[in-house]
Formats: sequence, structure tokens, C-alpha cells
Amino acid sequence: MPLLQIAQLSKRYGTDKYALEGIDFTVDTGEFVAIIGPSGAGKSTLLRCINHMIPMSSGDVVFADASTKSFNATQLRAHRTQIGMIFQHYNLVNRLSVIENVLHGRLGYKSTVAGVMGWYSNAEKQQAVEILQSLGLSEQMYKRCDQLSGGQKQRVGIARALIQNPKLLLCDEPIASLDPSAAKIIMDTLKDINQRLGITIIVNLHQVDVAMRYAQRIIGINSGKIVCDAAPDAITPTIIHEVYGSEAGELILDFGEQYAQA
Amino acid sequence: MQPTTTIIVRPWNAATLILRITIISLVIITGYAFTTFNTRGVDFWAGVDMLGSNFSALLLTPYLKNITFDVMVHNLFITIGLGFLTTIFGAAIALGLALLAAQNLAPRWLTIIIKGLTAFVRAVPTVLWVLIFAVSAGLGSVAAVLGMTFHSAGYLIKAYSESFEEIDNGTNEAHKASGANWLQIVFKAVLTSSATALLSWTFLRFEINFSTAIAMGAAAGAGGIGYDMFMASGFYLNLHEMGAFTYAVLAFAIVLEAGATRYKASLSK
Ligand SMILES: Nc1ncnc2c1ncn2[C@@H]1O[C@H](COP(=O)(O)OP(=O)(O)O)[C@@H](O)[C@H]1O
Ligand SMILES: [Mg+2]
Repeated sequence: MPLLQIAQLSKRYGTDKYALEGIDFTVDTGEFVAIIGPSGAGKSTLLRCINHMIPMSSGDVVFADASTKSFNATQLRAHRTQIGMIFQHYNLVNRLSVIENVLHGRLGYKSTVAGVMGWYSNAEKQQAVEILQSLGLSEQMYKRCDQLSGGQKQRVGIARALIQNPKLLLCDEPIASLDPSAAKIIMDTLKDINQRLGITIIVNLHQVDVAMRYAQRIIGINSGKIVCDAAPDAITPTIIHEVYGSEAGELILDFGEQYAQA
Repeated sequence: MQPTTTIIVRPWNAATLILRITIISLVIITGYAFTTFNTRGVDFWAGVDMLGSNFSALLLTPYLKNITFDVMVHNLFITIGLGFLTTIFGAAIALGLALLAAQNLAPRWLTIIIKGLTAFVRAVPTVLWVLIFAVSAGLGSVAAVLGMTFHSAGYLIKAYSESFEEIDNGTNEAHKASGANWLQIVFKAVLTSSATALLSWTFLRFEINFSTAIAMGAAAGAGGIGYDMFMASGFYLNLHEMGAFTYAVLAFAIVLEAGATRYKASLSK
């Protein structure tokens, strides 16, 4: 059953060349999709068009059978609550505690006043505690976020997305700022969320090896266009070369070293 | 090997030319001013001597004559109150407008309008705003409160909006992506992240407003210890009393500084 259909999506920033051009693909419920490509290929732009953080120039994003192209502000808010997002730099409020940051994931479901005042129901607080427990962060619950390690911060970011009860998780380079062992924990967590909770995941990755190991399907983009869309075992060095151009050789060497000990 | 040539480190350009011209003109003007002072027959060294004895009367032998200690403390608090009130009013106005003046929170055209207007408000000195409001309110405490509030708001809008612009935009993005609306983002992400900076700016403005309040007591008849100082210096010609007021003001300034430093330290922990 398709959860997300991207149809002829194009994006152009001002009068620059197209950042995305004629993107077409469908993601089924429960899939774990990795998007790979060199930096500047359009990966971040693609993710942000799905939740309309960046307005698309043409085409459509069909999510849960609804065309999102002409959504108004209220519909957009509702659309975004269904989609959790995880960032390379975690994007937490550093001054606040871990549990407060997690509860912020509920803001989209609240009235303005309830959100501004921070009125969270007991059920919401209970859920926050449970999610933190499942991610191994019970002891950090009342710590300020700036006291956490990078890997812990990213898990708080994941918890904040999970409390939205999302149908889809968009992850923009979630492990790009982490050391190999923290990166492995995060990728294992995402895999677990995908399998245990059945949440669909689309993750932008810079590391081909990680994509090959974790994803069911790999979409390669270069200069705003899809160059490949296949299962990991169908990805050959020739295809990698097409996606990355001249950078490819270094990348593959890179991953061999990085993940040998992890 | 090429023959060595002189390497110019700082080549001539418009900026260095203007800088040189400015410095040379300042030197000429200063020299001209010193040679053409009208000293009205006062000997320079006699003047220095009198300055010394005035300062010793002021600073070494302070005492009160025309008002009691209680009245002085009361009037000091009137001045503090004037500074405090205008800071709070200014901060309240500034908080709302600064959100609309921050480039990461408001549309560009709106930020340009608000920033332009506040630049104008700030360009006119506080004293002038007080005099402008005195036209309708009459010279006195009302004009002082209005004028000082006005300038404080202009100053704090700039300071606050720049603090908002400095916070990490990723946090706003994360909240927006989860469906939060503008006000929720402002209260939950923007204000929490910039609270320390906002308080620092407000304290700084309170320090400025306290000293302005002294001047307004004298110049605009707003009362308080500034008015007492005006009377002691201009009417009773009593430097000893003036000294007592100076120490009272100094004492409060030290308390304020120490308090602000501690408060900020406890916030940023
Ligand atoms: N806000 C923006 N304004 C203008 N151009 C942008 C903006 N964001 C991204 N781009 C351009 O769009 C292209 C794709 O960028 P991006 O989606 O960030 O790539 P990736 O995430 O794959 O590194 C790049 O050429 C980039 O310079
Ligand atoms: Mg990117």
C-alpha cells in the first residue's frame, strides 16, 4: 500500500538551475528507504518538499492518499504532525531538559494557548517517559540537552519525532556528525523503529555502506535527478559511480576503514 | 631570482586617505582651539588649584544640609523608580515589536519597516524625546517617562531582535516541521533560547535609564535625586551636599552592578 507518492516533483530556488527535476517515486508503508548522492545533489531539498518546509515549484506530493499540493495553513500543520523529522545537528532547545524537548513534539497537535503554556496531558507525559526508556535515556530525562553527547542528543531528536505518532520519519543525514559507534546505535535504533513500530523511514545518507547495510531500497540522486532506485544487492560499483561521479572511489575506501571496527 | 623591490603593505586607497585627512584636521582644529580660548583673565594654574579644592570639598567632606538623609534616600528611590518604570515599559513594547523585526521570524518587508522606524527613534537622543513630549505633557515626570520609554523601546527592539536572529535556526525548523505554529515556536524555542541575552540587554538599559533619570530630574524637573543635585549645585552652591548625593548614587550603582553580575551568572549556569 503506497504511503507516499512523489509525482513529477521539481524545485527551483529563485532563478538558479533546478535543485530537483522531475522526481518520481512511490514509498510503501513500512519501507526503509535510503537516499544517497553527493553533497548538493538535492537530498535535503527533497526531504523538505515532502513536509513542505520548502515549497515545491511544480509536481505533487501525495501522502496517505491525499494530494498535498494545495494545502492551506491548517492542513499543512496537520500534514506535518504525521511526519517526524530528524536532523544532522539534532536541533534541540539546548537550555531545556530532555523530557521538555521530547514533549515539544506534541505542539503540532495543540491549540496555540495550550502549546504556549506547555499544557501536556498525563498520557503525553507517560508516553514521553516510555519512549525515553525504550531509547535508553531514562537517566538523562531531567538533564539539560547541552550536557548530552552527540549520540544522546540524536536519540532525543528521535524521541521528539516518535511522540508525534508519525506515519513517516524523514532523517536528514542523522549520523553525519557522529562517531562510528554512536552512528551505529542511531542506525540500529532507526531500523528497530521501522521493524517494531512499522513506521516508514526515508533517510538521507552520505555513506553508501551504511545505506547498503540498513536500507531495503536505495534511491541515488545526482544534480536533482534520480539515477538509480533499487534494492541494495542490485547496487553495483558502476551504479555508485554514476551517482557519485568522481567522488565514488574515495567514498568506498572511506567506509571500509570507518566500519571495520564498528 | 628577481631583483628586490619595495613591497607595499598598505597601499593607498580611499579608506586610508579619508583616515589621514580626518586625523590631520583634528590635530589642526585642536591646536587652533587651544590657542584661541577666551580665558577671561583666569590663570591656568590658579584654575587647577581651585578645581582641586572643589573636588576635595565634593569627595572628602560630604554632608547633608538642606535635606535629611531620609529624604535623600527617598529621592534616590524616586530616581530608581523612574529608571525602572521606563525600562519595564520599554521592554514590554520592545518584546512584541522585536519578534516582528527579526529576520528569522517575520517577513522581510515588515522587518525593514520596523528596523527603519526604530533606527530613527534611536537617532534622536533621549533628552530630545523628553523635550518633544514636554510640548504636550508639560515639562516634568510625565514627559520624562514618555520620552525615556520611547528611546528605551527603540534601543531594546534592536537589541532583542538581534538576539533572536542569533539563535540557532535549526530549532525553529524542527518545531515547524512537527506542526507547531508561529506563536508556539516563539514561546517554546525562541524565547527560551534567548532569555539570558534578553535579560542582559534589559539590565544594561536599566543602568542607562538610571543615569538618564538623574539628568532628567535636573533638566526636565522630573524630581528625584537629580533635582536635589541641581538645587545643591545651582541654587545653594553647596559642594559638600553635592558630594553626599554623588556617594548615594555611586552606592546604588555598585549594588546594581553586583546584583546584575550575580543574577546573570546564576542564569547561565
Ligand atoms: N535556500 C537555498 N537557496 C538557494 N539554493 C539552495 C538553497 N538550499 C539549497 N540550494 C541549492 O540546491 C541544491 C541542492 O541542495 P541540497 O538539497 O541541500 O543538497 P544535499 O542535501 O544533497 O547536499 C544545491 O545546489 C544548493 O546549492
Ligand atoms: Mg543536505
